[in-house]
Amino acid sequence: MNTAAVTVPAAPSLRLSLRLGALALLILAEVLAVSLWLDNASLSGSGGVAGLIFHWGALAVRAGVAAMLALLVFGRSAAPAEPLRLPQSPIRWPVLALHAAAFAGFLLLSLRLYGPHSATVNGLAALWILAGAIAVAIAAVALVPLSAWLALLRRAGDALTFAAIAACAGAVAGQYARQLWAPLSGVTFSIVTAVLRLFVNPVVCHPATFTVGSARFSVQIAPECSGIEGMALMLAFSAAWLWFFRREWRFPNALLLVPVGLLAMFVLNSARIAALILIGNAGAERIALGGFHSQAGWLAFTGVALGMCVLARRIPWLVTSPPSTVAAPVEAPDSTAAFLAPFLAILAAAIVSRAATADFEWAYGLRVLAGAAALWCFRGVYRKMDWRIGWPAAAVGAIVFAIWIVLDRGSRTAPGAPAALVNAPHALSAAWVALRILGATVTVPLAEELAFRGFLLRRLASPAFESVSWRHFAWMPFVASSAAFGLLHGERWAAGTLAGMLYALVMLRRGRIGEAAAAHSVTNGLLAIWVLTTGKWYLW
Amino acid sequence: MKFIGMALLVVGAASVASAAVPEIDPSTGMNAIALLAGALLIVRSRKR
Repeated sequence: MNTAAVTVPAAPSLRLSLRLGALALLILAEVLAVSLWLDNASLSGSGGVAGLIFHWGALAVRAGVAAMLALLVFGRSAAPAEPLRLPQSPIRWPVLALHAAAFAGFLLLSLRLYGPHSATVNGLAALWILAGAIAVAIAAVALVPLSAWLALLRRAGDALTFAAIAACAGAVAGQYARQLWAPLSGVTFSIVTAVLRLFVNPVVCHPATFTVGSARFSVQIAPECSGIEGMALMLAFSAAWLWFFRREWRFPNALLLVPVGLLAMFVLNSARIAALILIGNAGAERIALGGFHSQAGWLAFTGVALGMCVLARRIPWLVTSPPSTVAAPVEAPDSTAAFLAPFLAILAAAIVSRAATADFEWAYGLRVLAGAAALWCFRGVYRKMDWRIGWPAAAVGAIVFAIWIVLDRGSRTAPGAPAALVNAPHALSAAWVALRILGATVTVPLAEELAFRGFLLRRLASPAFESVSWRHFAWMPFVASSAAFGLLHGERWAAGTLAGMLYALVMLRRGRIGEAAAAHSVTNGLLAIWVLTTGKWYLW
Repeated sequence: MKFIGMALLVVGAASVASAAVPEIDPSTGMNAIALLAGALLIVRSRKR
């Protein structure tokens, strides 16, 4: 029925991919530089083209993201098998110099446009847009010949149409979704009030200002808290899930999952606000407004998404074939779970412990407990792995520690232990520090190395990851698994990515997961000593 | 690769949707998405 999906996707050759990547980096760097320098607020109140830039600037970003996603999803099915190769054409440096001149002109126009307004601001704004487009076009042909661009456009086929539709829909939906905030806030307010009446007497309720709560603790439901953000996230997830696994779902029945997911997110957002008020009413105002406020949304989304994927598969009316587990009385040993469960247990415990605490994560021990419990459950699988370690592991661990410290030199956070820890009884703070060190040097290295090096690095090399040698090196899995590891380290993503690469290399060298875990443990141990001796607690 | 695509979709949607709205805290979004993607990988692997 769907023949397009079985064709081999067209892929640009490596040289062309590198050129396209270089172009994307160049444009991204220039856009970042300009956006850091210019203040869009100076166009506030302008009409015409300048007003369009002020109002639609953010929407253009949304349109861009939507278009990229559409290309990602639909581009793979548009397809000749032969990769598109870059003709023998070196980078045209004179044209690139012309781009620099065009970009300089764009900057000069920016100075005028974002400076004091004149009567000709609309003409200037139109010229500014045109200059930006010309600068981008010149850079594009400097790095990739026009003939290659035309071939790329031809190969993209219908994906470009889908991308254009997605871009328009994304921009318009982003703009008009805000208009739903006010009416949805009203419904949220009503549900929260109704739920609170079951637990609180009297309920403080001011419909004019959307203020609701108890005599002791009340909140104002802002339009932004209407629940639409979680619903948008669920819409993206459920649509993508149904699309990717479309052969497994029975349509149109399965489309029912989309409104069900949206409704669940909306109701859970009201439950989140009601729970927040009840927590505050119980005397834990800081927890309610701190950890719980920021984490409960993710808890709800993760729960609904996972629940939808697991439970819906068990409803024959929704799926094309019943789950294979029904026919299998005894499940085969599942090593994916053995590699991922400890890491996921720590992540889940982190979300819960942050939600249950205010400005200091007193419940950190929950992460250690969860990680250790998951490791214990799968100890039989781990016994079959090679946990031997050698001196290179310690050396790599020390190198990663040095990288971590060097790259963190620019941090502006003042050193010093958290006030909550300083003011706590000595035994309590000592126990917390001991658990923090235990987590950093034992459970976290084991869990993260099993997940990123043991699983992801090999899973990206082959779906049958268990058959991939512990010594197998390939660039894409190496870079992608390290980048994923880096991304999970937030603002320290660069140091995290380098660390991931070095841990991978030490494992691949001898084919032992133990080497990576030991290196990771050494890094974290040295980091713990560094934090405790220098007072740079922000590194934890 | 499907899961990478899924993760990209959700990250993209979250980054677009979460501008200045406290309902979904973007600072911990990567952790939550990793948790969801990992859990789904386990579910899918058990199904096989």
